[in-house]
Amino acid sequence: MTGLGVVSAIGIGVSQFWEAARAGRSGVSKLSAFESMPMEAYRSQVAGQIHDFSIGRYIDGPLAERVDRFAQFAMVATKEALADSGLQLDREDPHRVGVMVGAGMGGMVIAEQEYHRVYQKLKPNRVVPNFIPQVTLNSASGALAIMCGAKGPNLTISTACSSSAHAIGLAREAIRAGRADVVIASGADASIVPLTFAGFCSLRALSTTFNDSPERASRPFSRTRDGFVMGEGAGTLILESLDHARKRDARIYAEVAGYAATSEAHHMVVPRDDGLEVANTMAMALRNARVRPAQVDYINAHATSTPIGDGVEVKAIKHLFGRRANQVAINATKSLVGHTLGAAGALAGIVCALTIDTSLIHPTINYDDPDPDCALPGISERAQERSVGVALLNAFGFGSNNAAVVFKQFLT
Amino acid sequence: MTTDTDLTLRVRTALADYLKRDVTTIKPGDALRDDLGLDSLTTIELLYRIEEEFDVEIPDTDLPGLVTVADVTAYLQRRAAQA
Repeated sequence: MTGLGVVSAIGIGVSQFWEAARAGRSGVSKLSAFESMPMEAYRSQVAGQIHDFSIGRYIDGPLAERVDRFAQFAMVATKEALADSGLQLDREDPHRVGVMVGAGMGGMVIAEQEYHRVYQKLKPNRVVPNFIPQVTLNSASGALAIMCGAKGPNLTISTACSSSAHAIGLAREAIRAGRADVVIASGADASIVPLTFAGFCSLRALSTTFNDSPERASRPFSRTRDGFVMGEGAGTLILESLDHARKRDARIYAEVAGYAATSEAHHMVVPRDDGLEVANTMAMALRNARVRPAQVDYINAHATSTPIGDGVEVKAIKHLFGRRANQVAINATKSLVGHTLGAAGALAGIVCALTIDTSLIHPTINYDDPDPDCALPGISERAQERSVGVALLNAFGFGSNNAAVVFKQFLT
Repeated sequence: MTTDTDLTLRVRTALADYLKRDVTTIKPGDALRDDLGLDSLTTIELLYRIEEEFDVEIPDTDLPGLVTVADVTAYLQRRAAQA
């Protein structure tokens, strides 16, 4: 892993993001008004929104202007990650550069705008011509390929909230299988829009108790957690083969050492209560990385702040790690930025890389009233200093989907 | 009544807005693709705007005849005369 890029509610750019994360700053704010929509009708009124984002401040040209907000986020994160990596793509064989993007929802901004035009205004003949190219889930991976001239494998992985954890894992597999030297692994979502947000409200998935104190609403592992906070953003990681990175003397943040993908085959939105499939997924990823649970120093938990999910994840960690569960450091990036859906895995991967790189575990904010069912000594409201040799990323998605990725400190 | 000159200016202005260019740089003889750099999708987007601006529906069968800015203007003039 040689390059990182972030677009988030606590910062656009890795340095701003990491500074805010280390300080435990919340990116959650009062939900912005949806034009003339009666906002009081939304049960949840908080979100991890990126305010005042304008693509023109980061990338010029018609390509960036003609894609939806989530793809714009992906482009900005990728531009930063490429610059960070020092890669000069014009010197690479374009067919050896791939793009893998995790996206949960797709172009929801244009989608809802045009639904309105058809159903409310009854004007199907006035749907904008760029609707289909903009709404499709793979518009982000397509835009990244065009922006970078990347002619290798180009895939979009859509498994809801675990999408971009799979993008990282599959990027690693594509490199190991010899299909690419470099893969741009990204994740993006931007679906804080009237219908989609209402859908999550109706599902009773979102926090509603902290509408008047938004920064307190995302509170993984806390006794008073009451649902996730919808977020938006993007993260990009540049993965390349070790040979390729060494040849160009690249800075290596960490090694993507293992990956597992499973399905619980259980329920569309609820995980198995016993956590056994989550534990199994983590165990498979660790085996894939040839790492024992006792070697894991840090877990970036999926921990969305839902009453059920956080408890199941901790149960799974206790089951797999045994006594080690009391020694491993754990945090929840979603406490800071909310749940960014398709971007969540990529942001978590970036946090794993930065944690290994800086030996600093960012706080899990709002962990001020630990739920006894979730309490582990390694979860803290404060930043923890700790050398991390092995980090584990958990990501679970609607559709009974699980992913785990293992990162190792790179030792020359 | 809309004159030819008004119509030409409105078409050129619609094009200029779409292309984010100064209207004076758009000439009636410019070909949408070869001179103004539109591709098949952006040509359709431009014609979408023309439909909005002039409140007309341009059927697919009429698209091949719309090659230059002047073609679009003449086409709209004909449609206005038929209305």
